[in-house]
Amino acid sequence: MTSTLTTARAEVEPIPLPAERTARAVVELKGIRKSFGANEVLRGIDLTVAQGEHVVIFGPSGSGKSTLLRTINLLEEPDAGSLKLEGVEYGPAAAPGVRRGKPIELRRSVGMVFQQFNLFPHRTALENITLPLRAVRKLARDEAEQRAVEALQRVGLLRHAAHFPGEMSGGQQQRVAIARALSIDPKVMLFDEPTSALDPELVGEVLAVMRNVAESGMTMVIVTHELGFAREIGDLNVFMDEGAVVESGPRGFFDHCVNPRTRDFVAAVL
Amino acid sequence: MSVVATYDWSLVWDNRAALLDGLLTAAEVAAVALLLSVLLGLVLALARMSKPPVSWLAALYVNVFRGVPALVSVIWVYFGVSLAIGVTFSTFQAGVIALTLLYSAFIAEIYRAALLGVPRGQREAGLALGMHPIRVFLSVRLPQATKMAIPNIGSMFIGMIKDTSTFTVIGLLEVVRVTQNINSTYFQPFVLYTAAAGLYVAVAFLVDFIFRAVETAMESPPKGRIALLLTRRKRRRVAAVIERVSASSAAG
Repeated sequence: MTSTLTTARAEVEPIPLPAERTARAVVELKGIRKSFGANEVLRGIDLTVAQGEHVVIFGPSGSGKSTLLRTINLLEEPDAGSLKLEGVEYGPAAAPGVRRGKPIELRRSVGMVFQQFNLFPHRTALENITLPLRAVRKLARDEAEQRAVEALQRVGLLRHAAHFPGEMSGGQQQRVAIARALSIDPKVMLFDEPTSALDPELVGEVLAVMRNVAESGMTMVIVTHELGFAREIGDLNVFMDEGAVVESGPRGFFDHCVNPRTRDFVAAVL
Repeated sequence: MSVVATYDWSLVWDNRAALLDGLLTAAEVAAVALLLSVLLGLVLALARMSKPPVSWLAALYVNVFRGVPALVSVIWVYFGVSLAIGVTFSTFQAGVIALTLLYSAFIAEIYRAALLGVPRGQREAGLALGMHPIRVFLSVRLPQATKMAIPNIGSMFIGMIKDTSTFTVIGLLEVVRVTQNINSTYFQPFVLYTAAAGLYVAVAFLVDFIFRAVETAMESPPKGRIALLLTRRKRRRVAAVIERVSASSAAG
């Protein structure tokens, strides 16, 4: 069942990508399994994300899509399987003799945007970005501030640099969260239902920023219920249910999916 | 002759210097003990949130010392320790240690609740940004937990000052000891002990005022004059950086 993912992608040529980024895999998951107690939420997932590719994961609540996303930066430790970032093994299935990378090294190359934004409420928008830059990249204060200001400018929130999260709307907070995750120069950005906690009128501004990030060539994995946005941005679309990949496909997937469960879900949401 | 007629309130004013000295001593013992209790309490909170058997030991400590009266604690420290290991403490040191033993147990529980009250996503966001778990604790979880803990720590401080009254048993010249000394000369217990109570209540108001100010300053966004003073430099700095970047991007 899970191998359909690779075959589907082999058969259908995705959108033409610039030659230098076609082949290189940024994230490779193989046979990822995860249980919470007796409940197996991931039943052996395979997924490869190529550089510059935008992967959309969707499916009903409890299908394991958020858990899958969270295993990519090891916020959830998989019980079994291989997780590679740029060829380095971080998963439990490291081959004998192969060094398994540390989670902190992995996370320094992976940006994550959360459903609840998770900005640090006791720090200004600017400080939310300078804190990781100084703590992780060991930048001097001036340089960190310079980069944070540029990051805020990129998401159109320079005016809010000195504001605290509590003084911003949900959409603005999420845009700062995206700027914060981007500022550490990740190899891949993960989005965990980034618009689900937003008032409807604020969804658009966050999607606009994400579109911008996508156009910059960033590799992205997005868990979302916004199938309209998914249809527009998804180079690879993955439908998950009950901890497994049911069906996946390239652009146009939403109009050409064949599995009845996928079709029912897409028809109900789109 | 009526009893009331013998109340001589001028005694309080006449002995104000001694009483205030006693209050200062009490406040000093409690303040030093507060600092130590917060540090030890934080360590105990982390120990209690870690894995067994460390968590069991911390729980044992907390449950024992929350139950021990200050009077017994100070007797253990002042008389017991010197008998047991031959170390003698000054009355000031004994008072500080006795209070720290008790109140670190209370503050451990306050901090544990506060740390659990910080949303899980805060830690996850820090880790996801590649920050070291210790850095996430110090820069993300601890400040937010401290803000939540401040009002309860203020209440603890008032309790600590009050508990110094039992240290008269080791001869520490705190409010009650001073009151006893004056009373032995004039025998006006009602007047003198009421005055002593008045001092404790006054301090309780003062401590409440101070901790409220700290709490306000720690709001996000910070409120109140103290916070505005503290953040003024920071706000200017941000404005300057924005200015610089907008100027350079406009030029480019």
